[in-house]
Amino acid sequence: MGDSAVLNRTFRHVGFFYRTEDEYAATVARFLRDGLAADEPVFAAIPPARIALVRDALGADAPRVEFADMTEMGRNPAWIIPRVLAFTGQHAGRRVRYVGEPAWAARTAAELREATRHEALINLAFANADAEILCPYDTTELDPAVIADARRTHPVLLSDGRHGSSPGYAVPFQIPSSCSFPLPAPPDDVMSHTYRTDLSQVRALVLQHARTAGLTDARANDLVLAVSEVAANTLRHTRSHGTLTIWHDQDEIICEIHDDGTITDPLAGRRMPAPDAGGGHGLWLVHQVCDLVELRSDGTGTTVRMHMAIHPPLAGG
Amino acid sequence: MVKTGVDLLTTSVTTVESDGEPYTLVELAGEADVTNSDALREALEAEMAKQPGTLIIDLSGLRFMDSSALHVILRANRTMGRLGGVLALAGPREPVAKMLRLTAADQLIPVYATVSEATAG
Repeated sequence: MGDSAVLNRTFRHVGFFYRTEDEYAATVARFLRDGLAADEPVFAAIPPARIALVRDALGADAPRVEFADMTEMGRNPAWIIPRVLAFTGQHAGRRVRYVGEPAWAARTAAELREATRHEALINLAFANADAEILCPYDTTELDPAVIADARRTHPVLLSDGRHGSSPGYAVPFQIPSSCSFPLPAPPDDVMSHTYRTDLSQVRALVLQHARTAGLTDARANDLVLAVSEVAANTLRHTRSHGTLTIWHDQDEIICEIHDDGTITDPLAGRRMPAPDAGGGHGLWLVHQVCDLVELRSDGTGTTVRMHMAIHPPLAGG
Repeated sequence: MVKTGVDLLTTSVTTVESDGEPYTLVELAGEADVTNSDALREALEAEMAKQPGTLIIDLSGLRFMDSSALHVILRANRTMGRLGGVLALAGPREPVAKMLRLTAADQLIPVYATVSEATAG
């Protein structure tokens, strides 16, 4: 290892704004090939149609790249950081290269908010990592507000073939307001329940509503676990009651817990606790079993909104 | 038989003199959560104080288990290890088994489908 290897030990998080498939394939393939040439482990989590494009562009180099379908791996954007941390963990001591495309046009507004939050949190989770991360954004398909947020969450931008620092990037670390403002209000016809210590009743209510909404038993039990873990935090960390609110439409059931507690670690639940850790498993489980989790916490209290799709795109779960 | 928590969790303890090694069997039934995890910890600590070589926790009667109960079990696993004994889990229903997988607790503590498999294991 020469001095250059030491000097190269940096974290780079680049937002790549693209318009065409050709531009995408050429740029991502070049990024990955640069990694292969430097003998870096390379990983690309992108939507399936994009995997096909990049594989074609890489040709004989394609088998040396680890690919993942981002619509699966990152369906809940909170699953992405632990997956990439697992990849860097497998290659500890080596500089790694990762392409992650967490935002696509078919995502719901709530998912896009969480994709943006995920991008902001990448800067925290990998601040001390020896890693180069490229995040493609389809500027022809995505809402301009999503692109504007990508300018805020990426220190460096790659656009029209040119790298440049992003003037909008927030230093010190900041979550863009689009995903830290209060959540949109629930509909009028919600079920609301106040609890103090009777978590069994909380679980029974969630189970009953989950079944009515049409969740399978396995997914209903997932939601019960998630809500119970968040409600348990009310008992552990506050002296007051909590409120459970449940509603559903034809697409999803949502359970929301609000209490007076404060969650200060923005990465809570996004790093797998050591199996024998004395805490931290609760929010980890919440993120793992839900399709989407939105969390807002400040001095006035904490709201955790847990989403479960009624017809999940994937079997199992 | 000891009733614990808010009547949510039942803990019963038997010492089994099997053909092989004797073992202590703790059967849990109901719902194990933050409201009764202290009672669960006390029940397990009382049994571990007798220094059994093998402690098997039968989870088959548990409808629900949260991370508070998991922490009690993980702590019991460390205690058993320190005492030179072995802790094993038996018979988790799918929601509990899934939680053990997602936390990787099943990589620290052996999990068996049934108590008899645990005693053979």
